[in-house]
Amino acid sequence: MSDRGDGMSDRGDGMSEDRLRALLREEPIPGATEAKRRGLELIDSAYVERRPAQRPVLPRLAIALTAAALLAAFVLSPAGAAVRDWVGDVFTAGVKNAEPALTDVPGGGDLLVQSPRGPWVVHADGSRRLLGDYDAATWSPHGLYVAVASGRSLSAIEPDGTPHWSITAPGPVSEPRWSPSGFRIAYRAGRSLRVERADGSEGNLIAARSAAVAPAWYPPGPHLLAYVDAKRRLVLAEADSGKRVDMAAAAPGVIALSWSHDGGELLEIAPRGLWIRNVMPGKLSGLSLSDGPRRLGLPANAVVRAAAFAPSHHTVAVLLEHHSTAGPRSEVLLLDPAGGPSRRLFAVSGRLTELAWSPDSRRLMLAWPAADQWLFVPVARGPRLRAIANVSSVFSPGHMNRAAFPHVEGWCC
Amino acid sequence: MGAEVNERKLLREAQRGSRDALAALYEAHWGNAQRAAYLVVHDAGAAEDIAQEAFLAAVDDLDRFDRRRPFAPWLHRIVVNRAIDWARRENLRCSAGNPEHEPAIAHADEPAAGALMPALAQLPPEQRAVVVLRYLLEYTPGEIARMLALPRGTVNSRLRRGLDRLRELIEVEG
Repeated sequence: MSDRGDGMSDRGDGMSEDRLRALLREEPIPGATEAKRRGLELIDSAYVERRPAQRPVLPRLAIALTAAALLAAFVLSPAGAAVRDWVGDVFTAGVKNAEPALTDVPGGGDLLVQSPRGPWVVHADGSRRLLGDYDAATWSPHGLYVAVASGRSLSAIEPDGTPHWSITAPGPVSEPRWSPSGFRIAYRAGRSLRVERADGSEGNLIAARSAAVAPAWYPPGPHLLAYVDAKRRLVLAEADSGKRVDMAAAAPGVIALSWSHDGGELLEIAPRGLWIRNVMPGKLSGLSLSDGPRRLGLPANAVVRAAAFAPSHHTVAVLLEHHSTAGPRSEVLLLDPAGGPSRRLFAVSGRLTELAWSPDSRRLMLAWPAADQWLFVPVARGPRLRAIANVSSVFSPGHMNRAAFPHVEGWCC
Repeated sequence: MGAEVNERKLLREAQRGSRDALAALYEAHWGNAQRAAYLVVHDAGAAEDIAQEAFLAAVDDLDRFDRRRPFAPWLHRIVVNRAIDWARRENLRCSAGNPEHEPAIAHADEPAAGALMPALAQLPPEQRAVVVLRYLLEYTPGEIARMLALPRGTVNSRLRRGLDRLRELIEVEG
């Protein structure tokens, strides 16, 4: 890079090239140190999660030892008693004897599934409908409507696809979230965060710039919204006025938020950990974030793929991924935020990617793309584990090769 | 030469799974990537996003990367092209008269301390980019032309116009 054949020699009539170089090098960048730290966390997580193109061929002994260790862990763990009858089948190729088709939603309720063709509604009896060419979707609180996003458009439609209204946002719409009251929809438009009345009549700006984290509505009902702003602060704001009720530094690397059902706790989810924060009645504002979040104990070197509070109690389910020379291993833990013992619910040799609670908090749905399966795992005694195979073809009918694996946007009511 | 050998070694180790090697590559290249993006988009948050995206692309393509090629130009090409795209979009929003999108320069988290940023803001994103590639990252006009898929004459004219404009705007001793 020594060629300077640009004819840009100094003229002696103002700024020299060397002076310009110095100015460009020395210009201060706001928040550069924190940004560098955040970037390294993110890149390191992505690196850990990546799948090398050429994986080493493992000795059979290592595979056998890993399998044996997993099996022993299952049998010895408290959850092992409930899952012992099927764990032996669950290793690298998915659950054996999985049901070949989705004939019903185990445990009931309706699923909202985002596929390469757009979102689908799957009813409890297994019937399903493609809603249209939308990029994102979210249920209204009782499943009567779906908010869908496509480009700069946000629309409300019925689960049979009947449109009700549509607005054009100032930027590409993403992360729509319907409020528990049913009267508001929060969404990101480009980098901004906005709230729209659920009849599409009026909207307002909450933050001109926000982090790429889905906003989370305060469950008990008032139109309060938690979000992460562009400066990586966790903000609690009134949705109608945009007024900030309270604010605190967000947990490092936070990628998602989840409220407990009663609004007493807010979970901050990051690849490197889970942080929980008590939300207290405040003297002036009505609510305040507690001083500092508590970090929940997780196994060392585990990467958090997903986590969520149960819809009706304070249990947190977390999907963790571990890496070793034998490849990725996934496990689901049930955590007690109050500090009680955690419980391993499920584990496999392979990569699970999603976790969703059933509306009655009795099951967890897990996605296993490499096996093309959804797993419906019982949390309580009673129901049995069910595995559904050929998931991708269900949501991409007519696709010749295996289509992209769909993503569950919500499990309603 | 020593730095190139060391970088090839780091790339090889990162391809084999060394997180330390990846961290060393990050340490070596993050600063320039973030700074280049910031000088083009004038928004610290957007610059962070752009630099992160470039590194994530590098992680995704790590196994396919040819270690004989230098890493920096590949990374900088992604950074600068994404920064130009971002700045163009912001300009379009401003020109559409959307009150929620002020000029990009006003989006900086803190006011710029010196004269450089306001002066750079007067240049179109494409001119900012070639100035940054030439005078921060020290690429030749030929290399810049290849990175941005432009004729070399276009790069030279953008450089000349950009520098002339900056000379007018920044009053400093020569």
